Amino acid sequence: MIKKGRGMACMWYPIGFTVMANPSAATVKVNTDGTATVLTGTVETGQGALTVLGQIVAEALGIATDDVHVVSADTDTTPMDYGAIASRTTYVTGNAVLSAAEKARQILFEGAGPLLGVPVDQLKAVDRKIEVLGFPSKSLGIDEVSQHCEAVIGTPSIGSASYNPPTVEMDPETGQGKPFNTYVYATQIADVEVDDETGEVEVKRMVAVHDCGTPINPMLVEGQIEGGISMGVGFALQEEILFADDGRQINPNLTNYIMPTSLDMPELEVGLVDNYDPTGPFGAKGAGEPTAVPTAAAICNAIYDAVGVRITTLPATAERVFGALQELKKAS
Amino acid sequence: MLVELTVNGEWKSADCPPETTLLKFLREHLMLTGAKLGCDVGDCGTCTVIVDGESYNSCLMLAARAAGRDVTTIEGLADSQGVHPIQEAFEELGSLQCGFCGPGMIMSAKNLLDKNPTASRHEIKDALSGNLCRCTGYTKIIEAIEGAGRVMSSDKYPQSNTF
Repeated sequence: MIKKGRGMACMWYPIGFTVMANPSAATVKVNTDGTATVLTGTVETGQGALTVLGQIVAEALGIATDDVHVVSADTDTTPMDYGAIASRTTYVTGNAVLSAAEKARQILFEGAGPLLGVPVDQLKAVDRKIEVLGFPSKSLGIDEVSQHCEAVIGTPSIGSASYNPPTVEMDPETGQGKPFNTYVYATQIADVEVDDETGEVEVKRMVAVHDCGTPINPMLVEGQIEGGISMGVGFALQEEILFADDGRQINPNLTNYIMPTSLDMPELEVGLVDNYDPTGPFGAKGAGEPTAVPTAAAICNAIYDAVGVRITTLPATAERVFGALQELKKAS
Repeated sequence: MLVELTVNGEWKSADCPPETTLLKFLREHLMLTGAKLGCDVGDCGTCTVIVDGESYNSCLMLAARAAGRDVTTIEGLADSQGVHPIQEAFEELGSLQCGFCGPGMIMSAKNLLDKNPTASRHEIKDALSGNLCRCTGYTKIIEAIEGAGRVMSSDKYPQSNTF
């Protein structure tokens, strides 16, 4: 008989570890045509990191994301970065590119101030212009200003910066310290159907609501969450590396290491909590790994809700759930 | 042996050892590297191409078996007029992340929508079940195929746009 159940799990996850040095560096150059070039050592693995970094720079310089050319992961040209790990790119590399863009912008302001006849702190960068605060008609094109800085003043609008989350070492006596600079939070809810005659579990629907600070690119965050849930579903129900007694992996390929296909994916509903973290670039934190953290727990809670058994070894295969149901029968 | 076949509407031929798979033939003899080599045993679907109106894992088909037949690869979808509605929808929704599964996903989707542009969500999931994706959770891929289906089933879409 098919039994339905619903389970929930919550999580927090650290962003920007400080237990060891965790720096990112970046250079932003505003070109004389008003576009910008960003040099970053971080890697695009498909999650959209470079798009997000481009958006951060565009926002800081008042230009369009399409105006920003991101050069990444080339040791010939780009500064050092710890890379796309630990859900750190938006937060740590994002802070680095933001600071670099602000420095380049400051050079533009110093060039534009005398031309517009106002102090440097009375300027803002918006709509591809350097504009006097409160006087939108009083402005110069960012391309003109960049050209002026480079060719007339002799200070090209290039900013370089790095960001390293502030470290607080652990106190050896109290064990207190600050291991991470900020945290993200999420709740996921799973609706499952469990066949109590076979132990087979099917996840029908999942709702995931994540706080990642200000989502700089909500579509990409959704993509990360949906991908994280698919990995979580695999972790919960399918994926297991099996070893022979001599240590060889028994299932080293996709024929027998079973991961979710399109048919295993539940219907998903994703929500973002629009939050603001003052330490992140434009309030952003991160979204990578946390997306897969609560999924398996929510599914296992849903299995308990459906048939009353606690699965404490993953994956919750049909055999394991069936075994637990037999134990439950024996006990009662 | 000499293998002659139609690829993306063009007659092609190349010499290859008889054990050459269609995937290897496309990638290494015709230099069409859109179809990807993933598992090479038919599990992952990233090598999917369409042969005479059916989708195949090209890693499991010998090139010789495709001789004289009509093969469509991902390279055949976009032309000077623009990209295919499926590609457009994938781009619009951010359906791909690392993108390695993309060519296979899109060819499986094309094979489905060419026959049934009003395919249901379940039919889409079923058609993609041989294409593994590790990044996206399939969700935005499925949504894009639904959207492309709406475009391809509209009156404005030229029905001759399929090979």
